[in-house]
Amino acid sequence: MVNRKTIQEIFILLSISVGLAMLVNFFSPRGIALVGQWDTSQGVITASPSGTEEEKPEEINSVARAMEIFDNGNVLFVDARSQDNYEDGHIPGAISLPVGQFDEQIESLLNRYSSDQPIVTYCSGRTCEDSHDLAQFLSDAGFTNVRIFIDGFPGWEAKGYPIE
Amino acid sequence: MCGFSSTASRAGKRKGTRLSNLRQSIGNNSWIELTARWILGLTFIYASAYKIVSPADFAKIVYGYGLFPTGLINLIAIIIPFLELVGGLALLLGFYPRSAAVIINALLLAFITVLSINLIRGHEFDCGCFSAGQSGYFSSPKVAVLREMIYFILGLQVILFGGIRRISIKSLRR
Repeated sequence: MVNRKTIQEIFILLSISVGLAMLVNFFSPRGIALVGQWDTSQGVITASPSGTEEEKPEEINSVARAMEIFDNGNVLFVDARSQDNYEDGHIPGAISLPVGQFDEQIESLLNRYSSDQPIVTYCSGRTCEDSHDLAQFLSDAGFTNVRIFIDGFPGWEAKGYPIE
Repeated sequence: MCGFSSTASRAGKRKGTRLSNLRQSIGNNSWIELTARWILGLTFIYASAYKIVSPADFAKIVYGYGLFPTGLINLIAIIIPFLELVGGLALLLGFYPRSAAVIINALLLAFITVLSINLIRGHEFDCGCFSAGQSGYFSSPKVAVLREMIYFILGLQVILFGGIRRISIKSLRR
């Protein structure tokens, strides 16, 4: 049933697929690296790696550090997760701004806070990039002091820090 | 005793012939082949679209299965959608249809295996991410396994079909 000719044809179809895949991925603006960053101990997982092991100053990569910032006060924590997740529990004083509803809600945020308001975004930890997206959007909207707490709500909760 | 058993075996043979006739008439019905091929082709072209547009999201889904070495996740996420697209197009147009069906069925077998392993070990990945939650990617894994098994049977029909295929680039040349 599957004879030599079929095997040749399969090989042709596979070659076309792989070739096309590499070509499109290379030229597409949404293409990804050939090897991603999928180790949560190295930071937030993502299909496109940071490239070099450069420090990311905007990332807060320990829960204790996030707590220090929280204790200093004056910092606005912004929850990038869905409204439901936010209502189930969030960092005390945090406001909800689901990254998917950014466009509808950014106006009121801009009205309430000055652009130099220190902001820390967070989401569901290192398997989640939403806090990074939100931080990017906030910077684009004009906020100048935005950082990302990469361990997010699960990391915070696991340490037994207060939630509301 | 002897007579009885020979009657029984003759009856069995007749039944066997009828069954194999039925199998042949389904297996070699060119309209069924065309339907199976087009359903599979359109389904896989459709399924590839979102993954091709959002490879990073698809890579995260691949990661979420928790079965692949981290070095291969991106490559899997880059290549699988194009196997689906090229396989689907080939089925739709009847270009190397049998070979395309072999590729599609290999993919289906892989999907079924991955989903079943995670069903059995009760592994469900939820990154709590907004994008993944919104894309509505997952139906229930059980439903998905069942659906892919049906597709697999359609694929077998296309592979085993022995007649002249309707509306097919390659069958015109034969």
